[in-house]
Formats: sequence, structure tokens, C-alpha cells
Amino acid sequence: MLEHVYLIPLLPLAAAVTLVFLGKEGPHSKMPFLSVATMGWCLLQSSAILWSAMTGAAHLPYAASMPWFEFGEYPMSLGVLIDGPAAMMLFVVTLVSFLMQVYSIAYMHGDPRFKRYFAYVSFFTASMLGLVVSSNLLVVFSCWELMGVSSYLLIGFWFEKPGPAYASKKAFITTKVGDLGFYLGMLIIFAYAGTFDLTMLRERVAMGAAYLPAHAATAAGLCLLFGAVGKSAQWPLFIWLPDAMEGPTPVSALIHAATMVAAGIYLVARTYFIYQASPLAMDAVAWIGLVTAFMAASMALVSYDIKRVLAFSTVSQLGYMMLALGVGGYSAGLFHLTTHAFFKALLFLGAGSVIHSVHSNDMREMGGLSKKMIVTFATMTIATLAIAGFPFSSGYYSKEAVLGAVYAHSPAMWAAALFTAAMTTFYMFRLIFMTFLGEARDHEKEHHAHESPALMTIPLCVLAVLSVCSGWILEHFGLVEHLFGLPSAVVHGAEHAAKAVEAAGAAAEHGAAAANHAAGHPASHPAFLVPAALSAFAAGLGISWKLYASGDFTTATKIKQTFGPVFTLLEKRYYFDDFFLFLVDLSDRLAAACFWVDANIVDRIFVDGWGLVTILLAEIENFIDAVFVDGLVDASGWVSRQAGAGLRTLVTGQVQEYLLYVALAVSVFIIQMLTMR
Amino acid sequence: MEQFAFYVFAGVTLLAALGVVLLRNVLHAALMLGLCLLGVAGIFAQLGADFLFASQILIYVGGIAVLILFVVLLAGRASELITRQTNKLWPPAAFVCGVTFVFLLRYYRSFNGTSASSAPKPTTFALGKLLLGDLALPFELISLILLAALAGAIVFSRTEHDEEERKA
Amino acid sequence: MTLYHYLAVSAALFCIGIFGALTRRNVIGILMGIELMFNAANINLAAFNRFLHPNAVVGQSVSLFIITVAAAEVVVGLALVLAIYRNIQTIYAEDYNLLKG
Repeated sequence: MLEHVYLIPLLPLAAAVTLVFLGKEGPHSKMPFLSVATMGWCLLQSSAILWSAMTGAAHLPYAASMPWFEFGEYPMSLGVLIDGPAAMMLFVVTLVSFLMQVYSIAYMHGDPRFKRYFAYVSFFTASMLGLVVSSNLLVVFSCWELMGVSSYLLIGFWFEKPGPAYASKKAFITTKVGDLGFYLGMLIIFAYAGTFDLTMLRERVAMGAAYLPAHAATAAGLCLLFGAVGKSAQWPLFIWLPDAMEGPTPVSALIHAATMVAAGIYLVARTYFIYQASPLAMDAVAWIGLVTAFMAASMALVSYDIKRVLAFSTVSQLGYMMLALGVGGYSAGLFHLTTHAFFKALLFLGAGSVIHSVHSNDMREMGGLSKKMIVTFATMTIATLAIAGFPFSSGYYSKEAVLGAVYAHSPAMWAAALFTAAMTTFYMFRLIFMTFLGEARDHEKEHHAHESPALMTIPLCVLAVLSVCSGWILEHFGLVEHLFGLPSAVVHGAEHAAKAVEAAGAAAEHGAAAANHAAGHPASHPAFLVPAALSAFAAGLGISWKLYASGDFTTATKIKQTFGPVFTLLEKRYYFDDFFLFLVDLSDRLAAACFWVDANIVDRIFVDGWGLVTILLAEIENFIDAVFVDGLVDASGWVSRQAGAGLRTLVTGQVQEYLLYVALAVSVFIIQMLTMR
Repeated sequence: MEQFAFYVFAGVTLLAALGVVLLRNVLHAALMLGLCLLGVAGIFAQLGADFLFASQILIYVGGIAVLILFVVLLAGRASELITRQTNKLWPPAAFVCGVTFVFLLRYYRSFNGTSASSAPKPTTFALGKLLLGDLALPFELISLILLAALAGAIVFSRTEHDEEERKA
Repeated sequence: MTLYHYLAVSAALFCIGIFGALTRRNVIGILMGIELMFNAANINLAAFNRFLHPNAVVGQSVSLFIITVAAAEVVVGLALVLAIYRNIQTIYAEDYNLLKG
């Protein structure tokens, strides 16, 4: 299975191409089953790979490549690199994609562009899988961009509506800003290390300053981080993700919860050895993660749109992962990435089920749906417990790992993260309470509400099972360290990195922590960490219960009135959208000013002036040409004409005159001959 | 005797030549040409060139002069007898000829005193051997020239009337 | 009689020939002048042969060639004159002015 891993990205690509060009488009097209079947096969293959990786049957990391082209003296290869995180990501992406496609058959049925939707999804999945398996940064970047395109297509799938059209543009342009960072980072890496191959790059970075000096590593790390920030919707480029919820809800589950936004985290994990060589870049990762986690969670507190809440939650959780990676918790971050994919996909698909049933996004129009949609209610509650870190759910294990890693790095950060965790619990239960409990607030909508078809609920159940037990399985069988532990080559590199860190005079504890984690020894956490997390969970749940469970929101409204400015700040998303719009507007005005300068000063003075000078010079030259040069030409003609007129009189046509000239010449010749003697 | 003959022949030649160029009547001029050529033949005889003497009389006097006479008669007109027969170029022409003559005489003066070392011998036999020996090729070529001149004369003198007759 | 006398006669004849060729209006007259010049040349050749190389006959043989060429020239020239005369009905050289510039 492992040697044919290249099939995993290529098959969905083939399916996408087939779906684009073959088959009949229409609300009842049968072509989507091809896409689902392809993804089913990919899921099987990924599962087999993951199984062999978990049991140790496959020797990881597995690398295979073929030559692509030569760039001067630098060979480029097309290849795969499968390590533990890659195997897990393959499984997660194919699973979520498969479940989401099954779900979509029911959800999107009847859409006039039914077939095209699956073509896009297959194309997206192919790009994501290509990114996961690729061993070459150049290919990773290509897949990264292709994901951007397919994300654009999917967010704007209902492009005839203004909202999705705007959101797709916003998402595309915002992530494109981040892509620039990725691109710059790649250029820096290539300029110093001279390769895009991840394995070779790892070895060269391990050699230290010979290839990648500390400042270059920092620059490359920060640039790559900027790319990840764009793709994973981290601060300050998170503005596109809430708007991206305009797309079909399964798309949100696939792209904006489990896979594409995870690509940024995955990229940082994939190039982790660069960050290990640069403490500054590591700190940047951690701080961006923390700020994002906190801000997004706070924004989720006040949103009434069910999908927006989930979107902010996604951003927040991605921030968590960044934070974990940044503080050296490599395995914790990837662990959380895996579990989060399951329960967040479940949450989105559940939300989709609700929206499908109620035809509204607004939680204020819901309530009391638990009676009508028992499966959706049950599975979403499980997911909520998981994301909130209820004991022995998957989120509990991964979040504990993250918090432990953060505490080992900095207790202050840990406190902020803990507070964020409490907020997470609060807003997630707020979502559940407002949607499913209490009395129905919009009876007409409640009346029409019904449980979704089996095609939609079965994926929910599968994901619910995984949300519950994936954490326990991974933790209990030591698979977190087995799969997500840094490879031995990296350990070697990490020691170098640690030395470099110390030589650079960086924080000794940071170096120790990084080396400690990298070597695969979990830091021994203080005993109060778990109770603290549990009390945060309890606090969030309690406040949420108090405010929202009854369906009576008077207390909540009162609090809102008391802290009006804060709420406005949160609802306006910290004015980041306005800030970016202001930036755009500012650049617009700047461009207008530049245009004015260009049109009125540069054009008037330099271009027009130069034109005037040219015209003047041309006039002078024309005068010289007409009077002197042409005069010379005319004069030569005149001389020739006059000479011809003069000589003409000699040519009389009288033969004897000519003969006379000859005789004259002969006589002169004779005279000359005689006088010479 | 020899001197007397020379002066007679030279006088006849030069006077006849002057007649050729000065006489108004072209017919007379042509007759004068025949006389002049006879005088030259006499000078050839004086020089002991017997074959040349014979050729001069046969070809020049008997052929060319007669031919010119024919043409004068063919193309002649009565009006020519009274019209001026020399053009207005005669002053410069006379000047050029006079100067040339004077200077040629000055040039030839170096030969004043060169006299024949021996009596003249018949040259016909020697000429025949030379023409058919060393000069055989020019001899043959000159026959070609004569042939070409013959053909050319026929072509040029044939009238269009003749051509039409031939075609018919 | 010395060579000088013969050459003097030849020179006189030659100059008279030139004069005739230059001044006669009649084309036949011009041809006759040219004949006089040929004869002057022949006299020169024969005289040089007689006085300077009495045992050779090369000069006389060249004279013979000149006589032959002169005959050919006269024949062709007269044919031309006749042809022209038939075309433009004149025999005066000054009327032959097609080449006038």
C-alpha cells in the first residue's frame, strides 16, 4: 500500500477531471458516485497505511521520488514523504472528505450544479492530499495554491448570490497575501539550502550555519509562518474564515474545519526543523497562536450565526495548535490537529444538518430542536464535549497535551490558554443550548424541522465515534509519541539546534524545553494541570447553563447591556475587517494620489515636456534638412543639369566633328612625342 | 632617271589626291582617286615591290576606284554639281592637317640620308612563301573577313523590295 | 632617293586624306579620303621594308593585308551608304545626325 501512496492524490484528481468533462450535469446526476467511490478507495488505502504505521509494520518515514527536471545544477524531484503526521493526515483528510461527500449527496441533492460540486470537492481533496504526501516544497506550494483555487470555487459555489461571491474573493485575496509569505520563505530556503526536498533540507538544516544560518532560518521560518497564518486563518489574517461560511456547509466542514485550514499547521509541522533552528520564529508561532486562540474565542462568545460560531471556534482551535507547535509541543499540536478534525467536522456537518432542516443560520430562530433531531443533537453534544475537553473524550487528551506543553514553556501563556479553554466551553454549550434546548422561538421553522436523512446522519455517527475514542486510542497505545514524535534525524538536528540556540544566547529554558520535547520525553507536568483544566470546563459549562439553558436570555441581555462597548468590539471582530478595509481604502487613496502625481506632474513635465523638446529638436532638424541638406542635393542636381546642358552642345551628331577631335588628339600626340625627344 | 620617275609619280599622286579632296564634282573626285592610286602604284614600283604594284593596280584601281565610281553614279544628283562639297570644318581641319604634316616631316628628317643598300629584287616568290608559311593563319583569317564583308555587303545593299519578292 | 622622300610623300598623302575625310560633305568623299590614308600607310610600309630591311618582305605582306582589309571596308561602307541613302534620301554626312544630343 505504501509504495502506491501516490495514487491517493492522483485518483481524486482523475475523478475531478472526469467529472468536469464527462457525464451529464443536473440535480440528479449520477456522476458524484464516481467521486465518492474514488474517495472510498483512497480512504481504504489511507487506513491501511495508517494501520501499518500504527502497528509498526511500515518503516516510517517512507520516501520515494522520481526526477522531475533540472534547474541548473539543482535537481528537482517529484516524490512522496510519508511520516507519522502525513499518514495520520492522509487518514483524516480522506475520511472527512469521504464522509462529507456521502453527506453531500443528501445535502446538495437537487442543486443544478450537483456534478460540478463534486468535481470541485474531488479537486480540492486531490490538492490537499498532494500537499500532504509531497516531499518537495515546490510541489507543496503548487498544491497549496491549487487548494486556494478550489477553496475559492467552493466558497463561491453559489456565485449568483452576492454574499458567496464577495466571500470567495475575500478568502482568495486574503490567503493570497499569506501565500506571498510562503513563496518568500521558499525562496529564502532555496537561496541558502539549495534544495526543495524536505528530507535533504532537514539534513542540511541539521548541519547548521553551513547551509542555513540563524538569521536565514528566522527569516524563512517567519515567512513560512506568514503563509500558514493566511491559510490557517490565524491573526491577523483570520478575517476571511467567518465570511467563508457563505459556502455550502459540507464544504465548511471539509475545507474550513478539518483540512485546508489544517494545511497551515501541517506546513509548520512539516518544516518544524527550521523553527527548531530559530527560537525567534518559534516564539512568533507561539504568540500568534495564543493571540488567535484568545481573540477568536472571544468573538465566538457573541455571535448568533451557528456557522460563524463554529468558524471562530475553528480559528481559535487552530490557534491552539499553533501555540502548541510554537512552545515545542510538536506531538501535542499534531494530536490536537487530528482530534480537532474529527469533532470540528462533526460540528459543521451537524450544523449543516440543522440548517438543512431549519433553513436558517440564526440561532435566535432555533431552540428546542432536540426533540425533532435526536441524532443530530446527540452527535453534536458529543462533539461539543470533545472540543470542550470533557474527560476521556478525544479533545480532553489532546487539549491536556497542549496545555501541558504550554505550561512547560510559560505559565502565563498557560493561564491565557486555560481562559480560552473556558471560553471555548462556554460558547460551545451556548450553541448547543440555544439550538437544541429550551422552547422553540420560531414555531413555524420548528414545525418544519425534521431529522435529516440517513446519508447525513451516518457520517455524523461515524465522526461521533471517532470524536469519543480517537483520543483515548492514540493516547492509550502510545501512538501519539509513535506517530507524532519527531523523527530520529530531527532529534539529531534538534540537538544541533539546541546548541545553536545556546550559542546564540537565547533563553536556556526554551532550548531545554525544545530539546526535551524533541527527544520524545514528555515533560512531567505539575499535578494541578488536569484539575485546572477540568475546573475551566466546569466554569464555562456552568455559566453557559446559567445564561442560556433555560431559553430565557434576560440575564444575558443584561450583561450585554452592561458591557455594551465590549460586545460591540467583539461583534465587530475587533474592527479587523474595518482595519483591513481601511488599509485597502488607504492604498486606494494613495494610488489615486500617485495617479494624480503621475498624470499631472510626471506626465505634464517630463513626458509632455520631453515631447515638446523632441518636437523642437525635430523642427530644427527639419529646417537644417530642408535648407542645407536638400540644398546640397538640389545643388548637385543643378550642377549635373548645367554640365549636361553645356556638354550637350559638344554632341552634335556630326561624325566629322568627332573625327576632328580624334585628329586633333593624334596631332597633339605627335607633337608631344617629338618634343619629348 | 630614277629621281625623275619618283618626282613624277609623287607629283601625280599628290596632285590627284588634292583633286580628290578639293574637286566639287564627286565624279571627278572619284576619277582623281583612280589617278592617285595609279600614282601610288608607281611609287610601289619605284620601291621594287612588284607584287604590291600589281595588287595596287588590280585591287585599288581596278576594283575599289571602279566601285566608288559606281556608287557615285548610283547616289549622285545633278544638284550636287553646284552645291558646296566641303563643310564648315575646313579651317580647323586644315590647321590640324598642316600641323601634323609639319611635325611628321620633322620627325622623318632623321631618315634623310638613308638610302637603299642594294638593288631591288623580285619579291613575289618570297611573299608567296611567307603568306603560305609563317603567315598562313592571318592569311586564312583575312579570307574569312573578305567572306564576311561579301555577305554584309549583300545584306546591306538588298532592298526591301527584294525581300518581298523572295518571300512571295 | 632616300627614305625621307618617300616618307614625306606618304605624310603629305596622309594629311590630304585626313583633310578630305574631315571636310567632304559627301559620304563617298569621306570614304575616298580614308582610302588615301590607307595608301599613305602602304607607302610607308613598303618604303621601310625597302630601305631598312631590304632582304625581308614582311612589310609588304602587311601592306597586302591592309589592301585586303581596305577592300572589305570599302565594300561594306558603300553598301551601308547605299542602304542609308535609300532610307533618308541624302548622302551628306551632316544630315546623319540621329546621335545629336
